[in-house]
Amino acid sequence: MEFLQQYGFLMATMLQQGLLGLSLYAPLMAGQLSLASPGFYALGGYIAAVILTNPAFAGWRDALGYGIYPLTWLLGAVVCGLLGVVVGVPALRLRGIYLALATIAFVEILRVLALNLSITGGAVGLFGIPQAFGFVDRWQYLWQFLPLLILTLLFFHQLSRSRTGRAFRAIREDELAADAMGVPPTRYKVLAFVIGAVLAGIVGSMSAPFLNTWNAKQGTFDASIAYLAFVLIGGSRSMWGPLLGGALLTALPEVLRGLADWRLVINGLVLVVASLYLPQGIVGSLGRKPKPPIRPSAPPRDEGPVGPPYTPETL
Amino acid sequence: MNSGVTLSKGDAGSAEVLLDAQHLTRRFGGLVAVNDVSFQVRRGEVFGLIGPNGAGKTTLFNLMTGLTPPSSGTLRFGNTTLTGLAPHQVAAEGVSRTFQNIRLFGPLSALENIKIAQHCRTQAGLWTGIFGRARAEERRVEQRAWELLDLVGLADRAGEQARNFSYGDQRRLEIARALATGPRVLLLDEPAAGMNTSEKGALTSFIREVRDRFDLTVLVIEHHVPLVMNLCDRVAVLNFGQLIAVGDPERVQKDPKVIEAYLGS
Repeated sequence: MEFLQQYGFLMATMLQQGLLGLSLYAPLMAGQLSLASPGFYALGGYIAAVILTNPAFAGWRDALGYGIYPLTWLLGAVVCGLLGVVVGVPALRLRGIYLALATIAFVEILRVLALNLSITGGAVGLFGIPQAFGFVDRWQYLWQFLPLLILTLLFFHQLSRSRTGRAFRAIREDELAADAMGVPPTRYKVLAFVIGAVLAGIVGSMSAPFLNTWNAKQGTFDASIAYLAFVLIGGSRSMWGPLLGGALLTALPEVLRGLADWRLVINGLVLVVASLYLPQGIVGSLGRKPKPPIRPSAPPRDEGPVGPPYTPETL
Repeated sequence: MNSGVTLSKGDAGSAEVLLDAQHLTRRFGGLVAVNDVSFQVRRGEVFGLIGPNGAGKTTLFNLMTGLTPPSSGTLRFGNTTLTGLAPHQVAAEGVSRTFQNIRLFGPLSALENIKIAQHCRTQAGLWTGIFGRARAEERRVEQRAWELLDLVGLADRAGEQARNFSYGDQRRLEIARALATGPRVLLLDEPAAGMNTSEKGALTSFIREVRDRFDLTVLVIEHHVPLVMNLCDRVAVLNFGQLIAVGDPERVQKDPKVIEAYLGS
C-alpha cells in the first residue's frame, strides 16, 4: 500500500504515456508517421473537462452520477474519431515527413484554438476537475489505465492477425504494390489514423480527472516529439515497442530525480545513444524470430486439381 | 490456342476478345511514352509484348493496371472499362500483375505476401477481425495461400522473409501473389529476368500450366527471345511508344520494321 502511495501516480503516468505511444503506433502500422496524437489527446481531455466542470452540464452530472466518466470517454472517442476522418482524408495524401509536418500543424491549430476559446478556459485552462469515480488517491487511476491498456493490447493483437492488419502491413511495406494487389491504401491509411485518434482521445478524457486541471499545454509540439521518442526508443514494428518506450521514458526522469538538473541531460543522452545503437528500438533489437507457420491439415486432395481462385464470377 | 492466323493489325479476329485497348497514350511532359497504342487480346492466349529498352512496355502495363492514368485512350476488359479505375479496383476486376523490379513485401513472410493479396476476394471488416469472427474466411485464405506456395514450389519456405529468396524464387513468389488476387488476366513484367537458364526453361511450361489451370489470359513482357517464341501465341512489338507489329511470333520476328527497331537501320 505504501508502495502504491509512493509510486502509484508514476505507474499510472507510465501506463498513460505508454497508451499515447500506442496511439502513435496505430498509424505506423500502416506506415504513416503521424504526430497528431497530442491534438486528439488534448481534445479528448477538453471534452471531459468541459462536461465535468461546465455548469451547462450540471444536469448530466446529476443524472448520471459516476456514469458521467464513461460517457466522457465515449464522447472523446467519437469526436476524435470523426475529426480523425476529417483531418485524415486530406492529410494522408501526404507522405513521410510531409504528413508529420501537417499533423504538427494540426496540433498547433488545436492548441491556439484552446488558448483563445472561452469554453476551454483560454490560457488559464480548466481546473477543479473532479476525481473520477470519487477516487481519493491518484494510484487508483491504475483502475482506469490498466484495463484500457489491456483492451488496447488485445485490440492490436487481434488486429495484427486479421485481414485489416495484413492490409496495414502491406501498405507499410509498399503502398504501390499493396494497391496493385487489391488493397485500397487510402481507406486503410485513414482507418489506421482514426484508430490512433480514438485511442488518444480516450486517454485524454481519462486524463483530465487524473491531472485535475486541463490547459493548452496538454497538446503541444513538445508532446508530439516526446511520443515520437517513445516509438523510436521502444521500436515501431511491434506494439510492445511504443508501450515500453513510453513507460521507460516516463519513469527515467523520476528515477533520476536525485541528480537534479542532470536528469534531463541523461534523458537526452539515452535518446541519442538508443537511436545510434538500437535503430530498431529496444523491442526491435531483441530480434525475436517469428515462429514458422504451421500448415493446416489439408482437406482431401483427390478432388482433382486445385480450382481457379475465387474469380469475380464465382463470388 | 495457336490459331495459325497471322494478323498484321491489332485486330484479334473472331476469337473472343477479352482485353481491348484503344488509342492508349501517355505523355510525360514532352515525352510520349506510349503513343496511340491499340490492340486486342483474346481470351486464353499468351500475348507477348516486346521491344527495345525504353520502348514503353512497362508504362503500357502501368496504364493497364491503373498505376499510371493514361493521357488518353481506353482499355476495356469484357464489359468493364478499366481506364480510370484505381489499381486496387483493377485488381478486384480480375487483372493482376508482377513487377519488373520485384515489389514483394520484403520483410514479410512468403505466406503473408500471398495472404495479403487475397484482400479483394475476402470481406472481413475491422471488428469481424478483432472479435475473431472471420475464422472460416481466414482458414480459406490460409489454405489458398499454401496451395499457391505449393504451385510455385515454395511451401517448405513459407515462413521465410520474401527478401531472402533468390531472384528466381522471388519472381515465382510474385506470380503466386498475383494469382492470389483471383485474376482472369495476368500481366507478367519480365518474369525471366534474373533467372538462370534452367529456370528460364521451366518458366515456359510453368506459365502455360498456370494459364490452363486457372483459365487465364496472360500478357508477358520479355526480352529473352527463345522464351517469347516458345511461349507466346501472339506478339506485339513496341518501339518509341508506338506499336509497330502484332502477330504470330515467327512472322513478327521476320518483320523488317522489327528487325530495324532492334538492330538499327
